[in-house]
Amino acid sequence: MSQLRSRARQSTSDEALVRALYEEHGRALLAYATRLTGDRAAAEDVVQETLIRAWRHPEVLTNGKGSVRGWLLTVTRNIVTDRYRAKASRPTEVAEVSETAAAPSVQRDHAEQIVDSMVLMEALDQLSPDHRDVLVEIYYRGHTVTETAGRLGIPEGTVKSRAHYALKALREKYARRPGGTPARLQEVVV
Amino acid sequence: MSSAQDGFAELLAPYVLGALDEDDQREVDAHAASCDECRKELAELREMEAMLGTVPPEAFLDGPPDDADLLLQRTLRQVRDERTADRRRRSLTLGAAVAASAAAVFLGGYLAGGGSSDSQAAPAPPPTTTGAPVTATPPAGVRAVSATDPVTGARLTLRMTPAAGWVRLNAAVTGIPAGERCRLVVVDRSGHREVAGSWVVGRAPSGGGKGADLDGSAATAAQDIASVAVENDHGKTYVSASV
Repeated sequence: MSQLRSRARQSTSDEALVRALYEEHGRALLAYATRLTGDRAAAEDVVQETLIRAWRHPEVLTNGKGSVRGWLLTVTRNIVTDRYRAKASRPTEVAEVSETAAAPSVQRDHAEQIVDSMVLMEALDQLSPDHRDVLVEIYYRGHTVTETAGRLGIPEGTVKSRAHYALKALREKYARRPGGTPARLQEVVV
Repeated sequence: MSSAQDGFAELLAPYVLGALDEDDQREVDAHAASCDECRKELAELREMEAMLGTVPPEAFLDGPPDDADLLLQRTLRQVRDERTADRRRRSLTLGAAVAASAAAVFLGGYLAGGGSSDSQAAPAPPPTTTGAPVTATPPAGVRAVSATDPVTGARLTLRMTPAAGWVRLNAAVTGIPAGERCRLVVVDRSGHREVAGSWVVGRAPSGGGKGADLDGSAATAAQDIASVAVENDHGKTYVSASV
């Protein structure tokens, strides 16, 4: 038992990291994976692998919350894509994921998607909550100006102007991103 | 710019986002037809709108998922298993590593003894049966078994989660030489075999075979499973666990 206890101490920080990711991003990841796979059990497997990949790449997690979320979501989607691409239902050899990496072209696709997603999520995260809420209601939840005004309890004119400034601010933040894919990001593409 | 222009400007984003009612839409259409600046603005906003599509709506959900504690526990277990594998690579004795791996796999102390194979495994280090109940109890029906083959030295630690008429398996397999093409075979009580997955054993830095932790499934009802075996592609059985 004493051996087990000392192992438990060693792994505390690893487990804390995984727990923190799960607590903060788990709902988003599982909902997304469930929609993509149409299968809750398969989705849980995908989320498990996503969290494991994040744990293996702690350098990704030093970014802001938004880009961490963007990274995780894109990895989730890539895992689903790769599994369908692989067609055959084979077990995931988790100890060797890096050795069974997808073909280079797929990796390149993944790299661009991941960077796009990270940059955009980071930009969204930097919007003021008021602006972001309007954008989420209108774009991601598909509500009209009138419905959004009702849901957020603000006048329609405010909804329109917030949507406008949110989109413009996003474009500015997005346009200011550094060109090309930073090497550091490519290294963490999984 | 006229004040009318300013008023229109604020309609452009909601227009691009598809949130305007028909009257406002028509107004923007009519205005943009005669205003270069607004058309240019619309084109830029449309580009940004397309970018928004790379982020799924689920991105805005926060917090942990509902009813997914088992997912967290499985993930934590995998982290522990992989740390164990790391330690193994750093040339800890195989015996200690396997025992630790087994302890980590047996969540909630769910140890359903190793059956006959285990009892014959006198030369091998005894499995740790003191698995600390560090996690929530798994749902009813989840079973864990393990076996070590005294001849090949291969060890299989298995966790079976019943589904409706089929079964999910999580297997930790150690002690198989690098390069072997392995299959996880589920055998039911009538002798019918289902392959739950296959893999190639990797090479550890020490030159031996790498342990594998894998998930698979089989169209065999959990209660009908007689045994689960690890075989190579020539039909050689490395280890078999009675269920």
